[in-house]
Amino acid sequence: MRILTSLKTRALAVLALAAFPASAQQAAYRAPRTADGKPNLNGIWQAMNTANWDLEGHAAGMPAKEVVGILGAEFAVPPGLSVVEGDGVIPYLPAALQKKKENYANRIKNDPEVKCYMPGVPRATYMPYPFQIVQSTNNIMFVYEYAGSVRVVNMGTPTKAPADSWMGWSNGRWEGESLVIDVTAQVEDTWFDRSGNFHSDALHVVERYTPRSPDTMMYEATIEDPKTFSRPWKISMPLYRHVEKNAQLMEFKCVEFAEEVLYGHLRKQTQNTGRQ
Amino acid sequence: MSHRDVTSLFAASLLAIVLLAPAPLAAQTANAVKSWTPPKTADGVPDLQGVYSNATTVPFERPKNLGSKEFYTEQEMVERRKAQEAAEAARAAADADPTRVHYDLGQFGLNQRVTAVSNRTSQIVGPEGTIPPLIPEAQARVAAKQAAARGHNFDDAQHRGLSERCIMWGNEGPPMLSPGYNSDVQIVQGPGYVAILQEMIHDTRVIPTDNSSHAPSNLRFWMGDSRGHWEGNTLVVDTTNFTDRTAFRNSSENLHVVERFTKTGPDTLLYQFTVEDPHTWAKPWSAEVTWEKINSPIYEYACQEGNYGLANILSGARAAEREAAAKGK
Amino acid sequence: MRAKFALLTVAAVVFAALPAWAHHAFAQEFDEKRPIKLTGVVTKWEVINPHSWIHLDVKGPDGKVTSWMIEGGSPNALFRQGFTKDSLPPGSEIVVEGFQAKDGANRGVGSNIVFKDGRKLFLGGSAPGADGGAAATAEK
Repeated sequence: MRILTSLKTRALAVLALAAFPASAQQAAYRAPRTADGKPNLNGIWQAMNTANWDLEGHAAGMPAKEVVGILGAEFAVPPGLSVVEGDGVIPYLPAALQKKKENYANRIKNDPEVKCYMPGVPRATYMPYPFQIVQSTNNIMFVYEYAGSVRVVNMGTPTKAPADSWMGWSNGRWEGESLVIDVTAQVEDTWFDRSGNFHSDALHVVERYTPRSPDTMMYEATIEDPKTFSRPWKISMPLYRHVEKNAQLMEFKCVEFAEEVLYGHLRKQTQNTGRQ
Repeated sequence: MSHRDVTSLFAASLLAIVLLAPAPLAAQTANAVKSWTPPKTADGVPDLQGVYSNATTVPFERPKNLGSKEFYTEQEMVERRKAQEAAEAARAAADADPTRVHYDLGQFGLNQRVTAVSNRTSQIVGPEGTIPPLIPEAQARVAAKQAAARGHNFDDAQHRGLSERCIMWGNEGPPMLSPGYNSDVQIVQGPGYVAILQEMIHDTRVIPTDNSSHAPSNLRFWMGDSRGHWEGNTLVVDTTNFTDRTAFRNSSENLHVVERFTKTGPDTLLYQFTVEDPHTWAKPWSAEVTWEKINSPIYEYACQEGNYGLANILSGARAAEREAAAKGK
Repeated sequence: MRAKFALLTVAAVVFAALPAWAHHAFAQEFDEKRPIKLTGVVTKWEVINPHSWIHLDVKGPDGKVTSWMIEGGSPNALFRQGFTKDSLPPGSEIVVEGFQAKDGANRGVGSNIVFKDGRKLFLGGSAPGADGGAAATAEK
């Protein structure tokens, strides 16, 4: 009798575990606490994948036509698996899929990254540069190396944005071991990656940061945008801590690198050479 | 949507007089501020956190006619306040002139600021109250830059100022200065770091407080490399490694800034800085401003992303050249 | 040695003269010799920095509609006063006095912007007489 009960208990436990989402299983790890008793997410972190090139799975690919003759293999699209959960494909509405294809065809001209525009959320997380979390009780600041992007996550009573912004409006809360951030009011002009994956002004992102070991975190972001996608969809990826002793964010003010693209056509032409 | 009643805010403002100990001369580093013990963060360091306005009615440099006078008396403060209000009314009246090109500043609330009023005659401390003159080496450096740019100032984006280009704004520093509007700064502290976010133009300094060594000297940054440590209740931040294009007040890449952040009360933070550059000034000089806590978050100030202005300026310059060329024919 | 003291008063909201908008070359962008007075309907309000931009459709005397964009101030102080992106909805009828872009485009700076009934769009109580006493400017 006892053995049967024990087997039944174990079977139930296995079933229960299987029903839990991946993050809850990883929540078996209990992160060290900050002095105010919360999971300690302070540190310098970085994703290690090719999501910034293309969220969906992709084999190595040809550089865009505008640059292939100059940058060659250096600007090839490196291969990477999809970070989109499920079948790995973003569930665009038919008209939106058409727009994505147009974006892709014109990605060198239209990717906001070329203009040093702030990347928004979630792209800021997986750009191939570090970001730093400065965690306090009432506010958690995410400082991204790229373009000096920054956002302050309000950990108190949620508030509303007065207008849209490039890095959105973030209200956060703790759910067990996870930091959950609700991001709204992002401008429609950001892309998810260099492949033209995009969204509308109805974008709503819910992020989860869950420590899984002393130097890694799971990052999940649920994307909801009924104007663009047929259903919500989710990306997930590990984030890795920069453990080198002198790790620091460095200044990446990319504005001057975008000036030729943005203003080169407005340069004064000299009479003799046609170009100064 | 309710709008905060500015008049009632004004009327309800507290009038608390905080007496400070004799102000130190620029060369001294000792913290002579009368001590008020700030609460500590959960990590046990002074809690500087909050959103502040660093707006001030104190001019950066002392008006010439005041000579070495560093402080106004209470009576002079009253008279000065009246004069400021009269000047503001005159400016507003001048703005009403439809032939005068200007922005409708009052329309956007940009002429209203929360400020800790001070009786200093200038933000720069000491008997001079002005930026020291440039040494000959610096004068030559500045003259050379101006000569190279002369006649080319509107040729392209690269010839325009850093703020027009949205690369960085003068108020950001370090040292941090009041920009005159959107004068808002947020401090968030995590273990071993103090993060300072300036609303304009969203640059964030993440300063380690372990007194670590500066980055290698071949690495130069627009905003330098900042390293901090605590001295009692004061955060001291040392910044070097500037580029030669930062040029704060015509300084060189040898600019060295030391800032001190001290809470002087629940809602006030005394911000002091000393600036030196032996390739620019014969001696260091210092300034201070008191920041006032405000009850609002920082709002995003995305500059590059909305910078129609630079394209319009270059387009205007090209149009002016076309007009001049057509007239010349 | 005579002791010197710094006195502080706390938390005043001050209306003070702003320094010149030194962040860009006003004179190269807008032309004082091209004053404008436009009456139009807001189509979009770009609530952005460094300057917000009001887009409006202006109907000329011939009935033809042209689109203009008018440069305004940074909206951040407005947020602190409780205004939001919905505070100037499309369809609002406004009157803009200002100056046209130097390059002749349908673009300008608004030095005085009001609703058609004379109310200020946002704040602006500090500019007395702005609505009256204006010299005649070319209506477009």
